[in-house]
Amino acid sequence: MPTDWLALSPLLFLAAGGSVVFGAGAFWRSRPREVLFALSLVTVAAAGAAVVLVEPRASSFAGVLDLGNYVRFFNFLFLAIAGLTLLFVRHYARERGFAGDEFYGLLLFAALGLALLAGAGHWLIFFLGLELLSLALYVLIAIRKGEAGSNEAGVKYFIMGAVASAFLTFGIALLYAATGSLDIGGSLGARLQPAELPLFLAALSLILVGLGFKISLVPFHLWTPDVYQGAPAPVTAFLSAGSKVALFAALLRFSLALGEAAWNYALPAIWGLAVLTMVVGNITALRQTQVKRLLAYSSVAQMGYLLMALVAVKEGGAPALMFYLAVYAVMDLGAFGILGTLSGEAADLDALEDYQGLGYARPWRAAVLGVCLISLAGLPPTAGFMGKLVLFKVVLQAHYRVLPVIGILTVIISMFFYLKVVVSLYMRPRGEGPAVSKGEASGALAGAVILILLLWLGLLPGQVLTLVGRIAG
Amino acid sequence: MLHFPILTVIIFVPILGSFLPLALHRHPAGARWSSLAVTLVEIILVGSLFFLGLKPQAGPQGAWLLLEEYSWIAGFGAKYSLGLDGISLVMVLLTAFINIFCVLISWDAIEEKVGSFFFFILFLEGALIGLFLANDLLLFYLFWEIQLIPMFFLVGVWGHKNRIHAAIKFILYTLTGSLLMLIALIAIHILHGQQTGVYTFNLYQLMHTRYSFTTEVLLFLAFLLAFGIKIPLIPVHTWLPDTHTEAPTAGSVDLAGLLLKTGIYGLLRFGIPLFPNAAKFFGPLLLALGLGGLFYAAWVALTQTDIKRLVAYSSISHMGLMVVGIAIWNPISLSGSLLQMVNHGLSTSALFIMVGMLDERLHSRDFAALGGLWGKMPVFSAFFLLFALSSLGLPGLNNFVGEVLILIGAFQSQPVIAILGFCGIVFGVIYILRMVQDSLFGERRGEHELWDINGREALILVSLALAVLFIGLHPTPLLNLLEHPVQTMLHQTQQVALLGM
Repeated sequence: MPTDWLALSPLLFLAAGGSVVFGAGAFWRSRPREVLFALSLVTVAAAGAAVVLVEPRASSFAGVLDLGNYVRFFNFLFLAIAGLTLLFVRHYARERGFAGDEFYGLLLFAALGLALLAGAGHWLIFFLGLELLSLALYVLIAIRKGEAGSNEAGVKYFIMGAVASAFLTFGIALLYAATGSLDIGGSLGARLQPAELPLFLAALSLILVGLGFKISLVPFHLWTPDVYQGAPAPVTAFLSAGSKVALFAALLRFSLALGEAAWNYALPAIWGLAVLTMVVGNITALRQTQVKRLLAYSSVAQMGYLLMALVAVKEGGAPALMFYLAVYAVMDLGAFGILGTLSGEAADLDALEDYQGLGYARPWRAAVLGVCLISLAGLPPTAGFMGKLVLFKVVLQAHYRVLPVIGILTVIISMFFYLKVVVSLYMRPRGEGPAVSKGEASGALAGAVILILLLWLGLLPGQVLTLVGRIAG
Repeated sequence: MLHFPILTVIIFVPILGSFLPLALHRHPAGARWSSLAVTLVEIILVGSLFFLGLKPQAGPQGAWLLLEEYSWIAGFGAKYSLGLDGISLVMVLLTAFINIFCVLISWDAIEEKVGSFFFFILFLEGALIGLFLANDLLLFYLFWEIQLIPMFFLVGVWGHKNRIHAAIKFILYTLTGSLLMLIALIAIHILHGQQTGVYTFNLYQLMHTRYSFTTEVLLFLAFLLAFGIKIPLIPVHTWLPDTHTEAPTAGSVDLAGLLLKTGIYGLLRFGIPLFPNAAKFFGPLLLALGLGGLFYAAWVALTQTDIKRLVAYSSISHMGLMVVGIAIWNPISLSGSLLQMVNHGLSTSALFIMVGMLDERLHSRDFAALGGLWGKMPVFSAFFLLFALSSLGLPGLNNFVGEVLILIGAFQSQPVIAILGFCGIVFGVIYILRMVQDSLFGERRGEHELWDINGREALILVSLALAVLFIGLHPTPLLNLLEHPVQTMLHQTQQVALLGM
C-alpha cells in the first residue's frame, strides 16, 4: 500500500512551517517579525485547510498515527487555538520584545505536539508528541528572559513536566511488560489473565498520575496557579486551552480503548478524582484575589467537570466530552487572551482591583472577557451553558445520581468567583490601577471570533453537536 | 393559523431593540427616547394579539391560541416552541405594560450609564416575555436563567450603597434553585426518552412520563426549590428584601411586578402539571408555606423603618396568598391567583414607583424623614393612598377581586384555610394603614424641599390607577381570558395524575 503522505499534510505543514520560521530567524539577519508572524499564521491556516479538505484514505498511518475524523476534529481545534493565540500574542510579543523566530517557531512545534498527542496510536508517538509539546512550552513560558516570575514558572513547569514524564514512561514500560505491546489500542484493550491484572493496573495508575499532572487534576494540580501566573498571558492561554485539551483528548481515547475489566477498576478512581477536582478547584478559587490564579483554579475545576463526564464515556459520553473540550478551549483561551491584551507592558493585569471599572474604560474587551467568564460559569446564552448541559446529561444518562448533584453544587459555588471578576469589571469605580493597554487590530479580531463562537455555540449548538455525535458514533 | 411569527417578533423586538440605547450611549436623551419607543412598539404588538380573533385550538400539544414551533437543537429534541394561551397572554401584556413605566420612571432618576441601563431593562423584558411563552422546557430554562443576568447588573451597577452584596446574594440564591432544577429537567428528559424512545423537552409530551413515587417527589422538590426561591416562599425569601432595598426603582418594579411572578408561573405551568402526584403530596406543605409567608411577612413588615423594605415584605406576604390559591388547585382559586399576579404586579409596582419618587425628593426612605406629605404634595399623596388601599384589598379596587376569588375557592374545599387566609389579609391591613399613617399624615418631619408630581410622573400614576380601577370594577374580560386555560390545565393535570397512579 502506498504511503498516504497527503493525509499527514497538516502535520507536515506545521513541521515545515516551524522549521522555516526557525531558519528565517537564523539566516535572515534583520529577523523581520511581521514576516515571521505572517508565515506562522499562513502555516496554521494551511494546516487547518488541509485538515478540513484532505479525506484520509486509511484510518491510520502505518498503524502508529490515527487519521480518523476524531483526530481531524481535534487537529482542527488545535489549529484554531494556535491561530487565535497567534492573533492574541502578536501585539503582546512585539511590545515586550520577544516577537521573533523562537516564539513563533516554538508555537508551531507545540501545535504539532498537540496533534501528535491526540492522534497517537502508538505509545512512542504519544511520548514524542508529549515531549515535543512540553519542550516547546518550557521555553514559551520562560520567554521573557528578564522576568523572574516568567523564569520561575518555566522551571516549575519543567520540573513538574519531568516528574509527569517519569510517571508516564514508567507506566508505559509496565504496560509493555504486562501486555507485550506498545500499540495504544492493543495494549489497553488486551485480554488479561487475572494474574496479570495487578501489573496492568499499576501501569494504568501511573499513566493516570502522569496525565493528572499535565491536565492538573487534584491532587496533582499544585503547579497550575504558579505557572499560569508566571507565564505571559497569551502563553497561558495556549497552555491552558491547547495542552489540556490535547491530553484530555488522549485520556478520552485511552478510556475508550480500555477493556471492560480494567475500566471497572478505573471507574472509582475517576469518580473520586472528579469529585476531588471539582470541589477543591472551585473552593480554592473562591479565595483568590489575583485573576490569573483565579482562572488557573477555574481551569482545574473545568477539568473536574470533564472528568466527571468521563465516567459515562463508554455509554455514549464521548460527543459531550468533545463538545465541552471545544467550548472549554474557546472560553479559556478567550479569558486569558483578553487578559493579555488588557495588560500593560510592565506586568500582566492581575490584581482584581486593577480590573475595576474596565467595563466602561475598555468596553469591548471587557465585554468579551465578561462573556468568557459567564460562559465558564455556565450561564446561558453562552456556550458554557450548553456544554454543561450535555455533560450533565450524559452523566445522568449513565445512571449516576450522586456525581452530577455534587457537580452542580460545585457549579453553584463557582458562580461566586466568576461573578467577582464581573463585579470588578462593571460595578466598582476605576481606581489608580496600572496603565491598561490600548486596543489593537489582531487582538480585537481574536476577541470578536471568540465572542461570536461563544454565543453561536450557546444558542445554536445543533450543528456542532450533530457533528461530534457523528464523529464519535 | 397565522403564518407571521408574531410571538417570535414579540420576544425579539425588545431583545434586539435593547441594542438601540446601547448604541446611543453617548446621547442619554436618544437612549431614553429610543427605549420608550421600543416599549411602545412592544405594547402595540402585544395589544394587536387581542384583535386577531384568536380562539383556543386543541392540537396534539394541548389547546393554544397560537403555537410557533421551529427546530432548534435536533441532537436532543429541543425545539424552539412558543405557545400562547390566556395565561401567557395576560402575563405578556402585564410585562409589556409594566416595562413602559420602568423606562418612564428611570427617565431622570438614572443619570449615569444611561445607555447600558436601558439595554438591560429592555433585554430583561424580552427574556421575561420569552419565559412566559416558552413551551419547551429547555427554552423556558434558557430564558429563566438569562433573566438573571440583566437583573444582576441592574442591581449591581445602579443600586444603592450595598448594591454589590445584594446583587450577588440575588444571583446566588436564585441560581442555587435553578441549577438543581436543571438536573431535574435533564432527568425527566432522559426518563421520558428511556420510556418512549422519544427524547424531547416538549412540556406536553413530558407530562406523560411515568415515575416511581420517590423519583417524582425528588424531581418535584428540585422544581419547587427553584420556583420557591423566586416566589419567594419562606424560608428562602431572605434575598428579596435585600435586593429590593438596594435595587434602583425600575429594578424593584421589574422584580416585584414580573420576576416574582415567574416563580408562580413556573410552578403552575411546569411544576404541578409535570408532577401532579408529588404536588398533591406536598399540597399541605405548599399551603403551610403560603400561609406562613402571608402571616410572617406581614408581621415583619410591621417592624420596618424603611418604607421600601416594608413594601418588599408586603410583596412576600401577597405572594403567600397566591401560593395558597395555587395549592388549593380548583378553578376559582386558580383564577384568583392568576388574577392576583396581575393585580399584585400593578399595585406593588405602583407602590415601588411612588417610593422611588419619594426617594428622588427626600434622598431617604426612612419613616423618620417622612410624614405630613399630604400638605406638601396632595396629588402624590392621593395616588399613594389609592394604591395602598388597592394593596390592602379595598372593594372596588383590583386586589379585592383576586383575594376574594382565592378565598372562595379555598372555602369550597378547605374552609379552615380560607378563614386563616382571611385573617392574614386583615393582618395586612394593619401594616399598610401604618405605612399610610406614618408617611402621608401627621407632622412633617424632614426639612427637604418637596414638589408634587410632574407630568411624566402623573402619566405613570394615572395609567396604573386606571388599570387598577378597571380590574377592580370590571374583571370579567381578564377572567374570561383565564377561564379556558385554567380548565385545560386542571383537566390535563387530572389525567396525568391518573396515569401516574
